[in-house]
Amino acid sequence: MRTSTIFWRLLGLLLVIVLLSPLALVVLFAFTDKAISNFPITGFSFRWWREMVNFSDFDAALGNSLTIGVSVGLLAAVIGTMAALALVAMPPRRAQAIIAVMALPLMLPPLFLGVMLLVWYLFLGFGLGLTTVVLSHLLFALPFVVIVVYARLASFDMRIVEAARDLGASPARAFFTVTLPVIQPVVIGAGLMAVALSIDDFILTSFTIGGGNTLPILVMSTLRRSVTPMTNAVGTLLIGLSIASTLTALALTRYRG
Amino acid sequence: MRRSGLLLAPALVVYVGLFVAAAIYFFVMSFWKVKLFKVVPVFNLGNYEKVLSVNTGPFATTLLIAFAIATAATGLGFLYAWIIRFKAGPLGPPLVFIAIVTMFGGYLMKIYAWKTMLGSDGAINSALIALGIVHEPIKALLYSPFAVIISLSHFLLPFTILPIFAAMRGITDAEVESARDLGAGSWRVLFDVTIPRSRNGIIAGFALAYLLSIGDYLTAQLVGGKMAMYGQLIAPQFGSFFNWPLGSAMSFSILSTSLVIVAAVYFLLARVGRP
Repeated sequence: MRTSTIFWRLLGLLLVIVLLSPLALVVLFAFTDKAISNFPITGFSFRWWREMVNFSDFDAALGNSLTIGVSVGLLAAVIGTMAALALVAMPPRRAQAIIAVMALPLMLPPLFLGVMLLVWYLFLGFGLGLTTVVLSHLLFALPFVVIVVYARLASFDMRIVEAARDLGASPARAFFTVTLPVIQPVVIGAGLMAVALSIDDFILTSFTIGGGNTLPILVMSTLRRSVTPMTNAVGTLLIGLSIASTLTALALTRYRG
Repeated sequence: MRRSGLLLAPALVVYVGLFVAAAIYFFVMSFWKVKLFKVVPVFNLGNYEKVLSVNTGPFATTLLIAFAIATAATGLGFLYAWIIRFKAGPLGPPLVFIAIVTMFGGYLMKIYAWKTMLGSDGAINSALIALGIVHEPIKALLYSPFAVIISLSHFLLPFTILPIFAAMRGITDAEVESARDLGAGSWRVLFDVTIPRSRNGIIAGFALAYLLSIGDYLTAQLVGGKMAMYGQLIAPQFGSFFNWPLGSAMSFSILSTSLVIVAAVYFLLARVGRP
């Protein structure tokens, strides 16, 4: 191997370390037995995990995060797949343009989306709560699902659907017996991406939940008060949940950027 | 066609009902005012006058800091994508994989991690002291614009890597080889082939990083110390200050200024590699 290649690969490795080490440190300090998150680590313990589980707001926060995440995942998967099916029937240029427009909310800072939605919900007379959070998350979760499912459908051989239709299947029946079994892993994977995005969100949630906790809100409130390694424990759980859904999603969708 | 309209309907309802309508209402509100803690729908330009006269310092600082962040994130993202595409060989797929996984999670935890790493007894100062490079911890690492820039460019790195890499995948080896055969050196290939051919990805990454930075208020709140990002002044308008119309005018002002800056960067970059 040429020396220059070795140099570039080491540089790549260094960048990976830069990308991962902050998260790795958060996880590492979640298992410290000291009261502050710093080196040297004198011993490992689950002290802060016990603290977390016994924390008064923890159960509600975990429950809310999972409720919101799963609802967003399911809704985004269904609505996004329907949209992708419609888009794949269009000329590719038009479909791409629609997808680009749908992805606009992703380009806006979450602060702007959050305050805009807050003001809008109050105007509409919606009571703030878990439902408004789910609706808000749909806005940024949907484009991901549409993009991923559309990419899969674009390479899907539509002739097998036509064959099913020729044999007398209704459009719905053709979808459920032919199309869905083929695209199912991608749909589930895209839904899990939506779950990961939803569980990690703090900003939109904090503006549209009204009151009540989620895991990121819990993290933020401990960051505002006194930071102990319990923050690391909650954060590790949070990272764990979102990375686990992302990894499953990547395995199912074979999505690679 | 009718069936495809029906399939698209729920997504359209979400998009129009929550995004388009909300954005229009929010924009209209920027021309209203607040009286006795109530929003009064009376047309006036007072909020925009205020934007132009009050807090212009943080406005400009935010545009500059966001520029530094987006430039750092795009530069590093380009390097990362370039290594994946041209140098990493079998290491490429794991590198893409890591970029995707880090994009999907840990926004708050990344800021918190930098807070602990940059502090006086944090990992970076401890390492510098252990290596004998400095004797006293560098206090200025945390609670400074530098801390905001490093934390946010780290968070935004995956957002620049992925679009740039997607664009670079379109560059064929044949293009690079033919440039080399015609006598182009490494730099020549970079500026005449690689950068122009990945321009759309670079712009998409830069725009994303820039727009997400101008609205970020948490990072500055947690690691920025005394400095104020504009977002930190917008957020309380929807909480304790209760001045939605002003908050709206502030949001639209900084957003539109940023779009102009992104457009300027686009035209500048379009000149790179033009004969």
